[in-house]
Amino acid sequence: MSQIDRKLPMAVGKKVIWGSGILLAVFIVLGPVYLLIKYSISDVSSINTGGEPIPLWPYHPTLSIYSYLFSDIRFYRVLMNSIIIALSSVGLSMLLGVPAAYILGTYRIPGRKTILLGIISVRLFPDIASVIPIVQLFINLGVHQTYLGVIMAHTLLALPYVIFIGIGAFESIPKDLEQQAWVMGADRFQTFVKILFPLAIPGLAAAAIYTFLLSWDEFIFAYFLSLGREDIFTLTLYLNGIKYAEPQNLLSAISVCLSLPVIIFTLMVQRYMVAGVTTGSMK
Amino acid sequence: MRTDSKESFKDWVIRAWPLFPAALYLFGFLIIVFVYLACLSLSETSITTSFPTLNSFKELFNDDEFHSALVNTIVFTVIGTPLELIAGLIFAMLVYRTFFMRGLIRSIFLIPLAIPALVTAMLLFVLFDYPGGHVNHLLLGNYSIFPAVIDTPIGWRSSNLFAMGISLLGKIWRDMPISMLILLAGLNSIDPELFDAAKTMGASLRKRFSSIIIPLILPSIASVLLLRSVEMWKEFIFPFVLSGRNRLMGTLIDYYYNGLGNSHMAAAVAIIMVVCIVVSTIIILKSMEIIQNILYKR
Amino acid sequence: MADVLLKSFTKRYGSITALENFSLEIKNGEFVTLLGPSGCGKTTLLRMIAGLETIDGGELYIGGRLYNNVPSQKRKIAMVFQSYALFPHMSVRRNIMFGLKINKIPQEQINQKLEWVVNLLHLKGLEERYPREISGGQRQRVALARALVLDPDLLLLDEPLSNLDAALRETAIEELKRIHHHVGKTILYVTHNQVEAMSMSERIALMNFGHLEQYDRPKVIYDQPKTVFCGEFIGSPPMNFFTGEIHVESGVTGIMTNIGYLKLDSERANKVKDFNGRKVVAGVRPQNVYFKGHHARRRHTDSDIEISVELIENLGDRSLVIGRNKSGTLIRFLITRDDEIQIEGKMSIFADGRQIHLFDPSTRLNIFH
Repeated sequence: MSQIDRKLPMAVGKKVIWGSGILLAVFIVLGPVYLLIKYSISDVSSINTGGEPIPLWPYHPTLSIYSYLFSDIRFYRVLMNSIIIALSSVGLSMLLGVPAAYILGTYRIPGRKTILLGIISVRLFPDIASVIPIVQLFINLGVHQTYLGVIMAHTLLALPYVIFIGIGAFESIPKDLEQQAWVMGADRFQTFVKILFPLAIPGLAAAAIYTFLLSWDEFIFAYFLSLGREDIFTLTLYLNGIKYAEPQNLLSAISVCLSLPVIIFTLMVQRYMVAGVTTGSMK
Repeated sequence: MRTDSKESFKDWVIRAWPLFPAALYLFGFLIIVFVYLACLSLSETSITTSFPTLNSFKELFNDDEFHSALVNTIVFTVIGTPLELIAGLIFAMLVYRTFFMRGLIRSIFLIPLAIPALVTAMLLFVLFDYPGGHVNHLLLGNYSIFPAVIDTPIGWRSSNLFAMGISLLGKIWRDMPISMLILLAGLNSIDPELFDAAKTMGASLRKRFSSIIIPLILPSIASVLLLRSVEMWKEFIFPFVLSGRNRLMGTLIDYYYNGLGNSHMAAAVAIIMVVCIVVSTIIILKSMEIIQNILYKR
Repeated sequence: MADVLLKSFTKRYGSITALENFSLEIKNGEFVTLLGPSGCGKTTLLRMIAGLETIDGGELYIGGRLYNNVPSQKRKIAMVFQSYALFPHMSVRRNIMFGLKINKIPQEQINQKLEWVVNLLHLKGLEERYPREISGGQRQRVALARALVLDPDLLLLDEPLSNLDAALRETAIEELKRIHHHVGKTILYVTHNQVEAMSMSERIALMNFGHLEQYDRPKVIYDQPKTVFCGEFIGSPPMNFFTGEIHVESGVTGIMTNIGYLKLDSERANKVKDFNGRKVVAGVRPQNVYFKGHHARRRHTDSDIEISVELIENLGDRSLVIGRNKSGTLIRFLITRDDEIQIEGKMSIFADGRQIHLFDPSTRLNIFH
């Protein structure tokens, strides 16, 4: 019997308790998600009930709020901002991070451990604490309230992860391949471009997607760095900005749009997440 | 890879140069952050006082806003961290055994993490609306499945207690999967035959839990406490969306910087936050050490 | 201490039936081994008795009391696991005391029992060490100590020696016998190693694919295997099997097989004299095959089997020879170190007529049982 696949015998009573525990847990987890979706397909009468209790299922479920959203120029504007910033952040992080991951993942440099430690420590510093200095710096650099500012900030946040994931990707390439290339006469640059980089692409793709999502969801830096310039607001900032003004179905619809990329990606990748955390500790 | 001790700095540079842009970027920013924080917090808005000065800190300590924010954050952290541990542990124990559709249920349990924090905050914003959000209606007994607990709707976002409460609720709900995964890894590393052996020797479920599970997942518990406590100290999004006037240190920084335009006091709060994190980390590490000694030597 | 009775045990995993209608009785104080190849269900059976697996069908009686619905914690049973399952975060002393503390035995008694079991199993001086600090053999003794100290009605052992090297295993086998003699508990031992089973057990329950093939004293199983499987599994080197039919002719009875003619002794001949032509599977142990040379032991044989030597395996004081007859059938037999034989050499061999086992080809049962 393998270590994980064990069926433990349980008395019927215990099975019932535990089964209802699972049901309750699923309800706690999925309930809010359901409500979010429900609000996004609610018609006006299901929201402005005038004192009547809000229905658990809308009176007339409709996708009209989505069609409103998708015809709103402001929404597209904000959506474009988010996409531009996220993609650029991916670009910049990969540009900086992939070479670093290549070096750290392929060679044993003296000081490697210290450097790695340093990279992790950067992320230990609270976002909200580092935001003020960054804003001040960007004001001095002239990139405050610009796309570039937000992109640079998001790159700062994502770079440690890109490097870590990238190191994993490069480390998993067998040493022999690189040495084979050398033996055949390739220099370091050619080896990297023709052999190592292509093989590392799956792992680097994960890093790219992670960076995209990080930037897509990011709020704190985007907020501090764009306050006052509504035209560069990301989707998250826009949502926050209208929360008092707009009805709940619109808020929910935007929320759903915000959440979709992440949920899809997480569900695809969750198998690896669980495995990654557990393999280290399994015998 | 042998590292030749004679390898000069120059050789090292030649080998490692692709690393430099990223390293410079990261460490550069880090240094700048420290320098700016130090400078800002040690100076004041008025041009008359010289640098460095502790006036900003003094102003802070005299400010009621800061007092309440500090107290709020301490309570938030002290209550929230153990709650996150317990929530994660319960979920981890639920999915530890193999059962029909375990993989699916585990994936479902990861969903809160997948949802952007802002969205979760927004959702709570809507649910806990006053006077007519879902929760108010539920507690008023307007849904047949649930009895009436209160008779007037609660202003969730206006009272300090409730605002903190729903921020905490949102934070714990959203971050639970992380605790769950870490604790699950710890649980999976326990040899299942230990439970068999304990059972044959007469140990009840409670005994198995306290004598075997807890001592053996202590490292995982420590990780969860450390990571989650740091998160609690620096929390921004939930209180920002949900609790308006009642601030944690995170939203206090926003208040001073964007609201009052006082970057110095904002920086001072940031420094204090970092100090709190360091202190609480040390406290947690020391406590875990003590607990470990107790459990292993008894 | 008690009798154990398994009545029609059944165990199913989905559509797979691991055990069906398995019955067994063990006498008070007896040392019984469940022996069988991997996957035959012996560990499942043990775990069902321990309460770690549910009993899908049948009844379990210990000391006359029905135990099916008694949870594992309440059964007066102790178990030693293959991996020992020592608690890594507890010292040897705390491991051993664990069960006693749970059952709220007064500390004085605990200390007495600890003292007793530590001496019995030569664990003196190791009490404060942790499992990772002691050797495999020592861990095994700690696991055993932990079980014995609970004074169980029944002691279950699941392949406890399989992680030990050969020399340690020998010592451990002797230890277990000594302890059983000293403590007198009812022991149910599970293994796939027939040497362990043969040397330690009072009775062996030989299992195959969830079925009980034979349940008897070791010597009886060895001398009178009930089925082809029993003959095959017990005894080293393994038994030779040949297909053939009974041949009765003018007072001479034997089996005409694919290896040659095997003459039966008078007792067996008498039993099969009416079954001329009946198809059988004949089993002969390598130990009971001799060759004509300076070690011809039986003179009353006049049926020889001509073989050419294909392979010789040196086993130390003896050698295993694999020979092939002219129709290509292989036979294994043993020679001593003084016998000189060469590969490709031709030899005449014969089987001891008193040690030929006959089995029905379809039921696989020994026709003499």
